[in-house]
Amino acid sequence: MKKNDPQRNTKAAVTLVNAVSPVILAFLIGAVVILIARENPLSTYWILFSKSLFDFQGLMKTLHYASPLMLTGLAIAVTFKAGFFNMGVEGQLLVGAFAAMIVGTSFPAMSPVLLVPLCLVTGMVCGILFAAVPAVLRAFFNVNEMVVSLLLNYAIAIFLEYLTSGPFRNPSSGYVSTNMLPDNAILHHLGGTKLTIFTFVALAVFIVMYFLFNRSRLGFEIEAIGYNPSFSEAVGMNVGRKILTIMLISGALAGLAGAGWLMSEKYAYTLSFSGAVGLGWDGMLIALLGAHNPAGIIVAAIFYATLKVGVQNISVFTHVPSEIIALIQAMIILLLSLKMIGGPNTRGYKRIESLLDSGRRKEKIG
Amino acid sequence: MEIIRCVGVTRKFGDFYANKNIHFSVAENEIKAVVGENGAGKTTLMNVLYGLLEPTNGHVEVRGDRVNFTSPVDAIRASIGMVHQHFKLVPTLTVRENVLLGAEVKGTINLAGRSVTLPLLSRRKGRAKVLELIERFGFDLDPDTLVRDLSVGAKQKVEILKMLYRSVDILIFDEPTAVLTPQEIDDFFDSLRQLKKQGKTIIIITHKLKEVMMISDSVTVIKKGEVVKSIETAKTSERELAQLMVGRDVLLSVESDHSASPNNPLVYEVENLSTRTDDGRKVVDGVSFGVKEGEILGIAGVEGNGQSELIRVLSGLMRSTEGTVRMRGEDITNSWPRGLRDRRIGIIPEERYVHGLCREMTLAHNCIAGYHYNSEFCSRGLMKRRAIEHWRDRLIEDFDIRISDAGGQLSSLSGGNAQKIIIGRELESNPDFLIAAQPTRGVDIGAIEFIHTTILALRKKRKAVLLVSTELSEIMSLSDRILVMYRGRFIDEVDARNVTRGELGLLMAGVKE
Repeated sequence: MKKNDPQRNTKAAVTLVNAVSPVILAFLIGAVVILIARENPLSTYWILFSKSLFDFQGLMKTLHYASPLMLTGLAIAVTFKAGFFNMGVEGQLLVGAFAAMIVGTSFPAMSPVLLVPLCLVTGMVCGILFAAVPAVLRAFFNVNEMVVSLLLNYAIAIFLEYLTSGPFRNPSSGYVSTNMLPDNAILHHLGGTKLTIFTFVALAVFIVMYFLFNRSRLGFEIEAIGYNPSFSEAVGMNVGRKILTIMLISGALAGLAGAGWLMSEKYAYTLSFSGAVGLGWDGMLIALLGAHNPAGIIVAAIFYATLKVGVQNISVFTHVPSEIIALIQAMIILLLSLKMIGGPNTRGYKRIESLLDSGRRKEKIG
Repeated sequence: MEIIRCVGVTRKFGDFYANKNIHFSVAENEIKAVVGENGAGKTTLMNVLYGLLEPTNGHVEVRGDRVNFTSPVDAIRASIGMVHQHFKLVPTLTVRENVLLGAEVKGTINLAGRSVTLPLLSRRKGRAKVLELIERFGFDLDPDTLVRDLSVGAKQKVEILKMLYRSVDILIFDEPTAVLTPQEIDDFFDSLRQLKKQGKTIIIITHKLKEVMMISDSVTVIKKGEVVKSIETAKTSERELAQLMVGRDVLLSVESDHSASPNNPLVYEVENLSTRTDDGRKVVDGVSFGVKEGEILGIAGVEGNGQSELIRVLSGLMRSTEGTVRMRGEDITNSWPRGLRDRRIGIIPEERYVHGLCREMTLAHNCIAGYHYNSEFCSRGLMKRRAIEHWRDRLIEDFDIRISDAGGQLSSLSGGNAQKIIIGRELESNPDFLIAAQPTRGVDIGAIEFIHTTILALRKKRKAVLLVSTELSEIMSLSDRILVMYRGRFIDEVDARNVTRGELGLLMAGVKE
């Protein structure tokens, strides 16, 4: 088999350009804003990246922040590959976290060897159960899964808000919060860094998902269903049931992300558990940025975590308002929706093709 | 006078020459046929003429001027238009809107004796223009019908109108008859003659030699990216063209000995089968038949008489409302496609790219689709990459599938080679019963000969075959018995040995005795 197929190389290059160019453009626009704030964009960006990537403690922190994002990114990508969307990752994440909190606080005396996996598994199971609502409706009643999963996010957020401020409220806390997890259910920081076991769990999941996408029969079926459902059915796949399975996998990943984030960072469920944008929504951006491919998602998640960690340093070391990162994130989303380079018959595609071609020719001459 | 001239046009894809040093010219106001096997480079050459591809070397001259097209817009400006094999129309818009799309007519008003263009579209003027074109070329179309309600033949006319509206003088047709029924083909040829009469130049890419002989003035044969010969149609024959295309003598028809014994055991049995479409029309109406070992049963009929639906029911894609289907006595009515394949039923579906193949997936994955559950390709949920690639290479070898890159996507294959993937996949799995629907539609003669021989070889191995085709010659030369389908029922059964084309034609039109 030929490894260097020009057509595939061009395709890969186009995917890369499409993913990277919005990021670069967003940073350029950010630079203009930083200039307006009378700061040096280069040094600001240097602080942003060096302190969160080229510094050991910073890097560990970045990886820690990247862990739930990897999982939510994968959760979205797995459904997108099959040609539909689980918009409910955020809600499934919250359910997973809350369920893990209940289990963790209920058995404070249990040994961590048992309690930690129990909490994580509970998070996953509850994520699956919550994802099953839109999945079953879709598979058996043909109800649009995007609408159902999207709306359930708001329903569950409000329900959990009620539980947090009512039945599960920690009365001794100054703000609305549940009880803290007992020490046995907490994933402790490793070797004085921010890193916890959770990051390794996320990486293990990444490896499993990588094989699932690229090597497994389910991966083959996901690809086929995503490209052409009638073909998939004609060659014997039960498309409805496969969509159900895929949705449940997605829910499991989201639930695991929630449980892990609770146990490694938040320790209690609060009203701002998932952050201002929400880890589930961030996952959507990461899946897009990573072109729905596991390797791309891991890079995108780390990049995104870099921004999250970097923004803390920016506000410490410069006068640039920390909103600059929100601006850059928003710009990336906006620019991502603009496909820089389209299909094989567009000008940009041809240009990349000829660029690669001339590069190859030089190689041969040299 | 020469209107188009290609001078040494070469187009490479990677290291693969799709066109190699092509010299080719078209005279004004002629109908030029470009023939060649699938994958010979006909379409690539036309895409170069239409600005979709730029030549790696060489150039194109239009009316003696050297041109350099970078997009179809340039080609249309030089009055070259193309009608693709797969239409590019918006189904939810009307004929008028489709024709005008992108070149709408603006309204004008008279202000103090001067005509001023408004930033609004004039529906009335646009309609008048389209109507005028329809009348001038004698097309039987209503500008206000929605395109989705049109037949395939009518859609093709809309495509032609689109080009004519853009004042194109040279029309390129890519496999124009592949999707048409016999009646529509006659109608289409009338349109072509009309276009020629009005001074247009026509290039038609095809591999149906009968049609070349019928309609064209001159013909150019392309083989493996190179021009083999250009000749006036009157000075050549179907046989010579076939030989030039394939590079060897070709059997224009592979003939069965039609000697299946009526005493062979029954393999597949359909009893009183009916089905309705979603809107409640009964399209298959109580049909019964049986296929025996070592027999090819042909189902003939004009397209749209229920054959497509019958195939869909038999291949598990549509539910029957009544009746039973049995395979070796076992009831398999309304089984899933997977259940059918597990019972060793091979399926060559009617719609190649909808039910048979997935363009975006790799060759290897297409080669195992439907059989991906087999332990040979998959164990404990993991795909066996080695075994799959090995299988792919075996199909490529055994079924003579021509490709530029075995690791590439299916979309890089030409129609005939794509069809060979399906045939290979279904036959190499050694089925006991094969459902073959339109197995050679849009496939070139070399491949047709191959596919027919393969199907006959299967019969020789005492397997049963159900052949559904609108191609009369195919049905007649392969089948042992022929059922003629008309309005959802079998109007008659005939013995393939002693039936004539005329008799079958009458039956297909619903006339019995």
